[in-house]
Amino acid sequence: MVRAAYWLLASFVGVGAILVLLAAEFLGLVLILMMAGEMTIMAVFMVMFMMNPAGLNPMQMVHQHRVSIAGGVIAFLALASAGIFAAFPDRPASATDDTTAELGIELLGDSMLVFQTAGVALLTTMIGAIVLSSRTGRFGDAQEGSEAPHLQPDEPLHTPEPPEAEEVHHH
Amino acid sequence: MSGSLEPWAAVLFVGAVVGLGVYAVAVMDRLVARSFSGGSFRASAAFLTPVRDACLLLTQRRTDTERPDAQAWALAPALLAGLAAVGIAVVPFDADLAAADIGSGFVLFAAAVAFVMVAVYVHGWSANSTFSMVGGYRFVAAALSYQIPFLLALLGTALPAESLSVGEIVRAQESLWNVVRQPLGLPLYLVVAAGVSFWGPLNFPDTPDLGGGTMLEVSGPARLLWSVARGAMLVAVAVMGAAAFMGGWFGPVLPGPVWMSLKTLFLLVVLILVRHMIVRVRLERFVIIAWTVLIPLALVDVFVSGLLIL
Repeated sequence: MVRAAYWLLASFVGVGAILVLLAAEFLGLVLILMMAGEMTIMAVFMVMFMMNPAGLNPMQMVHQHRVSIAGGVIAFLALASAGIFAAFPDRPASATDDTTAELGIELLGDSMLVFQTAGVALLTTMIGAIVLSSRTGRFGDAQEGSEAPHLQPDEPLHTPEPPEAEEVHHH
Repeated sequence: MSGSLEPWAAVLFVGAVVGLGVYAVAVMDRLVARSFSGGSFRASAAFLTPVRDACLLLTQRRTDTERPDAQAWALAPALLAGLAAVGIAVVPFDADLAAADIGSGFVLFAAAVAFVMVAVYVHGWSANSTFSMVGGYRFVAAALSYQIPFLLALLGTALPAESLSVGEIVRAQESLWNVVRQPLGLPLYLVVAAGVSFWGPLNFPDTPDLGGGTMLEVSGPARLLWSVARGAMLVAVAVMGAAAFMGGWFGPVLPGPVWMSLKTLFLLVVLILVRHMIVRVRLERFVIIAWTVLIPLALVDVFVSGLLIL
């Protein structure tokens, strides 16, 4: 489980390394930096949905070993052959280009409105999600008046019978 | 960008910094502990005990748990040690003495600090033991809380340099050190430095109240490597703090690398004193303080630093 998340992290680190090789040093390193936190949070959330307590004796998360191994090998060979045989454009970037500065000018220049709009929209979404999921808010406890689910599935939920009626029923 | 060392020299250089630094931490920690507890002590004992402890751990048997994630368990200490080495590599010790003073050195250091969370969480997780795993979860909560103030405090030092290269950050302090220019920066950074190497008051994953936390089930060489890696992380944050806040290699009379080492040692002594003088904070309280006090303070720090440049 956690191992699967960190293998995904390893592949993201690989993507970041490719970006660094493509002279986008800042972008590559920021990708690596962000993904460490993202993958850990994802792993913790996945563990929260697991049936065993907090992830002790982890579940087997990998199924159909033969199929997945074959699929992985085929995908690797296909991508590798594409990398070897495809004709890539030959436009070497000059080593003196300061891509970080250009990125900053792009982010805070022509594209600023787009990025700021997206940023504010994401922030609003996050605040909305927190408001919706928090138990206490300005209108009091969100669980007020709610009832814990019964252990028997066919038991009626919203019929709080008076105690006298229950006694009569039993006798 | 200043000149970087040859690859073999860079490896030797980083290895020497890690080795000497970890040994210095072990010795100073014992000296401080002895002098605080009073009584008589011989200085030679403080110099020899770390070596003796290391030899003992090397000959110790490995313990084993039920169904551990063996590979991840073995790799976690190596990952932590490697991250410390990456952190040290981007910091120059003199105008042209750095393993890799790259243009985005600051971002690489921050990435190494972010990965500490991965190393500690995997270390706690893979033992498949309750208290180890609780330690791992605790560290994730703490790390998510201190990473933002950490990044902001360091970012404040990149503003006057107008560069993300650590060498440029040091050069921008030739006239005035950042510890004076940004008085909020170094205290914030030191809080986080204790957190990232889970040291003293911010030791959340490996605490005695968890029976050792992520170290509970670890013995022998793996335990030695984990302790060394953690010491190396402490050295890495001290080295970065000396470069980013205390003027790096600048200083009168003495050559640059000596100044850099002295400043690093000073920060290490501060951190070791903190470890012995301040009691461990509760995680809940730390998380609340991090989000409600440290992050706003760090934002003020960045804002004021930016305002001073304009």
